[in-house]
Amino acid sequence: MAEVFEIGEGPIDVARLLAAVGDPATGATVLFLGTTRNQNAGRRVTRLEYEAYDRMARREMRELAREARRRWPVRRVAMVHRIGVVPVGEASVAIAVSAGHRAEAFTACHWLIDRLKEIVPIWKKEHFRGGTVWIGPQQGAPEPRRRRAQGGR
Amino acid sequence: MRVHLKYFATLRERLGTGEERALRAGTTVGALWESIVREQPAIQRLHVRFAVNERYVEPSHELAEGDEVAFFPPVSGGG
Repeated sequence: MAEVFEIGEGPIDVARLLAAVGDPATGATVLFLGTTRNQNAGRRVTRLEYEAYDRMARREMRELAREARRRWPVRRVAMVHRIGVVPVGEASVAIAVSAGHRAEAFTACHWLIDRLKEIVPIWKKEHFRGGTVWIGPQQGAPEPRRRRAQGGR
Repeated sequence: MRVHLKYFATLRERLGTGEERALRAGTTVGALWESIVREQPAIQRLHVRFAVNERYVEPSHELAEGDEVAFFPPVSGGG
């Protein structure tokens, strides 16, 4: 089964991700899905929009998988991050990890999503009732629409 | 020397997706960013990260002919 480290538009094919980490030597597979919440920091979120530095993002995901395999006895890792609009309730990121036993699969998967959020070059723009805002420490001063939305809380 | 610039997220909205630039040999990423900020003072307050040829680098990193230089805000992927 080919490796899966992808950035792409449209719903994530979870079955394909699980197939990519399938291995008869493993006894545990952990799947993490990060999905769009309908609220954030008091805002009614209508959808999220993701942008990626595609090639660098895929390279960083491969690096993280290599690092996870160095740290824990993990067999296979697959990671997919969606770009473009992701409606409420749908997954924007999926990580699958297979290992001999559940403890290392859970640990590695948890570490992988934490590290992905820290270093993989992907950005999230939140669309909420009344405006939009890039998530993360972008700047010192908020955009006017954001300021108005915060004032309404 | 010539380098290829790419901008993402907030910076893409302010500066466009990217451009080509001619630079003096030995120019650092940090010096290039400072020159971009001088042209566009409105972006001065933005947090920025640097990548050269798809790897994170420090501001002191010296650029070379043909490098792809990316400027972007702190990342915010994940669910």
